[in-house]
Amino acid sequence: MPPTSDVEALVGLGILLTALYLQSESFVGPLVDAIAFQSLLVSVLLGYLAWVDDDPSLALLAGLAVAIRVLLIPYVLRLQIRAFRWRFRELGASQRVASHALAAVAVAIVAWFIFQQTLGPSLPPVPGGAFPFVLLLQGLLTLSTRTNTLVQVMGYLEEENAVVYAGALFAGGFPLFLEVVIFLDVLGVVLVAVILSIQRSVVGAPEEEYLEELTG
Amino acid sequence: MILDSPALWLYLVLLAPASGAILSQVPYPRVSERVARVTSLLSLAAGVALLVLPGRGTFGPYFGVDRLSDLFLFLVTAVYVSSTWFSRGYLAHVHRPFLTPERYYGLLGAFALAMLFTLSVSDLGLMWIGVEGTTVASALLIVLERKPTSVEAAWRYTIIASAGLTLSLFALLLLYRETGTLDAFTLAADPPPLTGSLVLVVGLALVGYGTKLGLFPMHTWLPDAHSEAPSPVSALFSGVLLPTALYAFLRVYDIVPQPVPPALQDLVIAFGLVTALVAAFLLQQQRSFKRMLAYSSMENMGVATVGVGLGGLAFYGALLLLVAHAFAKSSAFYSAGTVLRRVGTTQMNKVRDLRNRLPGTSGAWVLSGLAVTGTPPFGTFFGELFILTGAVAEGQFTVVGLLLLALVVAFLGVNAQLGRMIFLEDPQGPSQRLPEGLGETFLPWGNVLVALLLGLVSLPYLSDAIRMAAGMVPGGIP
Repeated sequence: MPPTSDVEALVGLGILLTALYLQSESFVGPLVDAIAFQSLLVSVLLGYLAWVDDDPSLALLAGLAVAIRVLLIPYVLRLQIRAFRWRFRELGASQRVASHALAAVAVAIVAWFIFQQTLGPSLPPVPGGAFPFVLLLQGLLTLSTRTNTLVQVMGYLEEENAVVYAGALFAGGFPLFLEVVIFLDVLGVVLVAVILSIQRSVVGAPEEEYLEELTG
Repeated sequence: MILDSPALWLYLVLLAPASGAILSQVPYPRVSERVARVTSLLSLAAGVALLVLPGRGTFGPYFGVDRLSDLFLFLVTAVYVSSTWFSRGYLAHVHRPFLTPERYYGLLGAFALAMLFTLSVSDLGLMWIGVEGTTVASALLIVLERKPTSVEAAWRYTIIASAGLTLSLFALLLLYRETGTLDAFTLAADPPPLTGSLVLVVGLALVGYGTKLGLFPMHTWLPDAHSEAPSPVSALFSGVLLPTALYAFLRVYDIVPQPVPPALQDLVIAFGLVTALVAAFLLQQQRSFKRMLAYSSMENMGVATVGVGLGGLAFYGALLLLVAHAFAKSSAFYSAGTVLRRVGTTQMNKVRDLRNRLPGTSGAWVLSGLAVTGTPPFGTFFGELFILTGAVAEGQFTVVGLLLLALVVAFLGVNAQLGRMIFLEDPQGPSQRLPEGLGETFLPWGNVLVALLLGLVSLPYLSDAIRMAAGMVPGGIP
């Protein structure tokens, strides 16, 4: 069996690479696959820690993460893509892919430095300990720079993956029922977001009207 | 006697809106509405009982109340009742609504339940779930009128509030790692040592819950959602949802050992002060009266946050301000809803001569405008006065100066705009009086009178509850 620290570092690196890929992809379909893969990596980490620590609650969480974040939420998002074909590609994003990727790398470096200066000293030295914090800021970056509603949902999911990832690394023993309810809560937010996303495409979005009413 | 048990009333305060949310799904709109009204009244009765009864403590591993939570529970139930009763007339004018009356009342109950749940639990993790639950329950209520702007506002609300709250969850993970528990009462009774991690926990919680509270610069969802939501929901947003988010932050702030480090205190004060200033200036340039009221809520929450940061007398002032503001701002939004319903626009330059067109509503609107801007003798005035006095006592004269600036600018902005709509004559000639229902005028008047009485007299139980609650957090009055 490989040392735990190696597995944590390897999975962490995979999660981080997925985050960088999410920033540089403008097609929505592959983005859904990427967020599902990132959630799968988080689930694998949870499952591995459950095996090493012989902790059934972590195993349950891993199963829940697979069911909700790897299967159910991506399924709902793919249904959306099929229903509204215009969502296949984020409008205008093709021109900005390079700048998004550069911004993602810059944010990752800044996040790493912030972690080392603030959180790092008071947390146990874990390989890839800064990764959840980097992932959290990558999620915020996706939310703030993308205009497609489904991609913004993925930014939110990335943030939530960061929290689960941090919980697995640093807060082992976080009450199980809380984790379960948080998972369901996130599912609720995603479902509401999808309903709003449908409405958004149904009612349309005349730019002038936004400028008139939702400014100031 | 079993009726003396706070646990009974605590569970009832939750069960009433929960059963209302479920039972109102019957496919008969009038029955659904009546169920919602009755269950909201039951919830208020339980909220009043909690305010009156002496016993406090934890009930089971996750539920618990103290004077602070009692006060907020009462506040939520009071505004929930008035919003439920105000909804009937408002729903009648909505053309092709996104939600049927059954769904509307169901979500309204779920929204109230999420807020009440946040205030009833002692576990900070469950508290976070409650705050996030308010987003899930209320987002679809914003879309009631099915306008592109309301869908956009609901979208921004869902994404920005949820993203911000994730930072609070991150803070709770760190707190759990530091202390091994998330029980707010245990942590407050035996605070953990002050470490860099704990400071970071409070900072992240401030940013996370501050997003929901509408603190600058995370406030961008607030004016959109408040202005686009139907008026009874806007009243709940401004009157009690924002204080509920502040309550969740208070519970995290409560675990900081005394004395609170000046850097942390300054951080909280700075966020509040900048929010109050930005909102006061932004409300000047609004064209929609609902949007202006939304910025006024943001300004009030900024001032209350300054009071929380200062502690002591200022914290008492903050609680008094929150309670009086909840009643006054809900009154202002009900009046705004009636004006929108009868005049057909939220654009302030198109609304004139309301004193002749809607005399009952405009009277309440004038008073609520004065109340939300801290005019004497409303409770909000005394709340702000105590915050300023607390700042003077702490020697924070810059804070006093900037706070006064925000208060004066907000006072002039809100009242000048309301004054134009109510007292200026319509240039197109004399206007006809428009119909006003009893519920349309009674509820705004009733709520604004509570805000007035809070300043004039010591209200039985409520004024005492505010004083006692002020002793519950860092620097509070014993």
